[in-house]
Amino acid sequence: MSDKQLPNPLREGLSSKAVPQPCAIVIFGATGDLTHRKLIPALYNIAADGEMPPAVAVIGFARRPKTDEEFRAEMAEATRNFSRQTVRDEVWQHFAQSLFYHQSEFADEEGYRKLAERLDRLDQESGTRGNRLFYFAASPEQFETIVENLNKAGLNKAREGSWARVILEKPFGTDLASARHLNQIVQRSFKEDQTYRIDHFLGKETAQNILVLRFANAIFEPLWNTRYIDHVQITAAETLGVENRAGYYEGAGALRDMVQNHLLQLFCLVGMEPPTDLGADSIRDEKVKVVRSLRPFSQDEVGTFVVRGQYAAGAINGQPVTAYREEKGVDPKSQTETFVALRMLVDNWRWSEVPIYVRVGKRLPKSGTEISIHFKKAPSVLFNRESQAIEQNVLVIRIQPDEGISLRMQAKVPGTSFRIESVKMDFHYGTSFGKASPEAYERLLLDAMAGDATLFARRDEVEQAWAFVDTIEEAWAEKENAPKLCTYPAGSWGPEEADELMARDKRSWRRL
Amino acid sequence: MPAATESVAVGMPVEVGDIPRELKKLNAEDSGRTRASLINLAVYSEAPDSLGKNTAIISEITEDHACRAIVIAAAPTAKESRVEAWISAHCHVSRAGSKQVCSEQLSFSIEGERCGLLPNIVFAQLDSDLPLYLWWQEEFRAPMDPQLWAWVDRVIYDSQTWRDFDEQMQLVETAQQEARQRIVLCDLNWIRLVQLRLAVAQFFDHRAAHHHLEEIKTVAIEHAPGFRSTALLLVGWLAAQLGWERDRGNRRSLGFRRKREEDDDWQITISLREKEGEPVNSCEMKTDKAGFKIVHKPGADLLGVSFGRIEGRHMDQVLPAGKNAPVALVQEELRRGGPHNVYLRAVAQVRDLL
Repeated sequence: MSDKQLPNPLREGLSSKAVPQPCAIVIFGATGDLTHRKLIPALYNIAADGEMPPAVAVIGFARRPKTDEEFRAEMAEATRNFSRQTVRDEVWQHFAQSLFYHQSEFADEEGYRKLAERLDRLDQESGTRGNRLFYFAASPEQFETIVENLNKAGLNKAREGSWARVILEKPFGTDLASARHLNQIVQRSFKEDQTYRIDHFLGKETAQNILVLRFANAIFEPLWNTRYIDHVQITAAETLGVENRAGYYEGAGALRDMVQNHLLQLFCLVGMEPPTDLGADSIRDEKVKVVRSLRPFSQDEVGTFVVRGQYAAGAINGQPVTAYREEKGVDPKSQTETFVALRMLVDNWRWSEVPIYVRVGKRLPKSGTEISIHFKKAPSVLFNRESQAIEQNVLVIRIQPDEGISLRMQAKVPGTSFRIESVKMDFHYGTSFGKASPEAYERLLLDAMAGDATLFARRDEVEQAWAFVDTIEEAWAEKENAPKLCTYPAGSWGPEEADELMARDKRSWRRL
Repeated sequence: MPAATESVAVGMPVEVGDIPRELKKLNAEDSGRTRASLINLAVYSEAPDSLGKNTAIISEITEDHACRAIVIAAAPTAKESRVEAWISAHCHVSRAGSKQVCSEQLSFSIEGERCGLLPNIVFAQLDSDLPLYLWWQEEFRAPMDPQLWAWVDRVIYDSQTWRDFDEQMQLVETAQQEARQRIVLCDLNWIRLVQLRLAVAQFFDHRAAHHHLEEIKTVAIEHAPGFRSTALLLVGWLAAQLGWERDRGNRRSLGFRRKREEDDDWQITISLREKEGEPVNSCEMKTDKAGFKIVHKPGADLLGVSFGRIEGRHMDQVLPAGKNAPVALVQEELRRGGPHNVYLRAVAQVRDLL
């Protein structure tokens, strides 16, 4: 019988979401950056907020020799550096008792057998009840080895009444073929309902609020279609360059790094039909229909509707910065794009012929991620005659930073003349709600412990997104007639060709 | 109390009729400020020094909950009849750190017969379209003004300070009926139990632990003097949610029984003990096989939580304890919201004992 059929009567009125269950969390890649910066600080914050189930054990799995105490000391320092709230000794001491280190090579079968024994002991000692959450914070090349060894040790299967789940960090492959391969590997041992593909954008408060904005307010949904929407823009701008990720970024580029996952996921939330309920699969069923409806590009169309760029030397905030090709670890002849702008169409009833413009780039003048819905202009009569054409209404959903929503509309400028100007109604999360939101990883870890996969990507979503992105990558990879890689000075809003992409449609990018 | 002293604490003195204009001027003073408001929060008190105290409370509340605060200090028995008003703004740097976010506070000192104008004063100052939360810091008195209650969305009170729970509850219920709308009752004495209830609930989240709920035989609660009602609400909650029936043989008895299909009624013994410390110092529940205990040490902001089988494994945990200060309780209420239906069921279980 599922937990949903047997709710805890004492939770009524106290919790509005699924409650996380006792479990052992095994982190593969426990000495890596993600564990230090995100995972352990997130788990500590969950504990400090009183959201942690009564019995949780966190086992760091990595190859470097280390004792539990050494691991705890390292994690204490990492948490002090990266936690969103100040670390309290009393809470940390208690939390640290549930941290353990398991030393093993990823390829060492014996290491997994010993892990299984250790998890069984922890079930007895800590009350983790046979529930296992395996977090793959290692590089994707290690996934196959880890999954196979988990399988051999029998750790992919839970005892009766318990569960085993796996959380996968992006990238989920580098193209459709590798994503399918990865999914096949994982699903040889874990079923889809055991698999949680993390996209931290979906854990952000504003991303979750898109559904609330659309489906808890009656005023937007009637306008949310081709009849009233002129176009949609999605922007993810960063002032940062490639930093210390050149090794990964050189092989990925902006399209794979941001568009295939984060930005398509965000667009799915904007573009989906109302789900039948708020269940994980109901929502994901609707999201995947959006990706499936994206009109694929032919090779010629990639040159017309997709712009790729790479930053040259320039300046950010008045400070000179080097070109991408001069960054440490980057091939001096690199063809990797650090900027992408594309115009997509969605072939379904709601979005027919509504262009969706997406741009993402590094070393742009300002950091910010937002979605803007540009409504059609008012009829060209009364206040909107050719001679005094007025602006469109624009609804902006700011994902980060300064999360919030704004609506641009027209108002009469006070005075005896009849002048109309655009004004902005602005809602800021930070202004209206003083309390800090939990980090995306906190929400997502809690959801995984509770078995709620709503904010995780499903296999078909990931594969459909790759299928769409692959047509672009393939065109770029052509030896002859490949669309050119444009350059743009660091600190600009990308190559001129990106502006031309909009200008052809008599539109322009929104000013952030 | 001299107005000059008050004005230092509560802002700039203004004529009641000039409040909208003066607020506009106040907001225009600094373009770097952003005014924010999610609710109208009216606070009513008859304590002589309430204006200053409630201003300090509002200042803290607005750090997390932007609102238009209407703070009323009433002296209905004063011989002279007068109304004085002040306006001020509580500004805090926003989370993003980029701007000052300000909540307005309108303060009123109402004396004598003018106290009858309370609804009139409150209505005129509401931020339109936003819900009205009324924090009533006094005992309720008949007659309850239906005109006022018809506008209230949530009424906040602390039943721990009530002398006669049943009488007060009847007044609130009457107001609720006359208002012809669902006023949510927010008892700070109930909010006081939130963290404790969360700590109790989490013992039984796993389905393998559900059976313990049916096997509870004793509940022992230790509470501070004056907080018996808090402890009773906790008992009422357990009884309401776990289907216990009051043993009504003795009207003041704390016995409960649980109907079980497979055997005789199951007796549940409740014991309450008074001891200095936190409102609820400890709550211990036992079955024949296991014990569940929550301890709140005096002054601590963490609860010590332990679960153990008799002669078996023991597990300890620490959880946030919450605070007993009025500002913390109101903040918790504003953060959680909800219809508080469980509260009404808990009250129904122990109303005659409160």
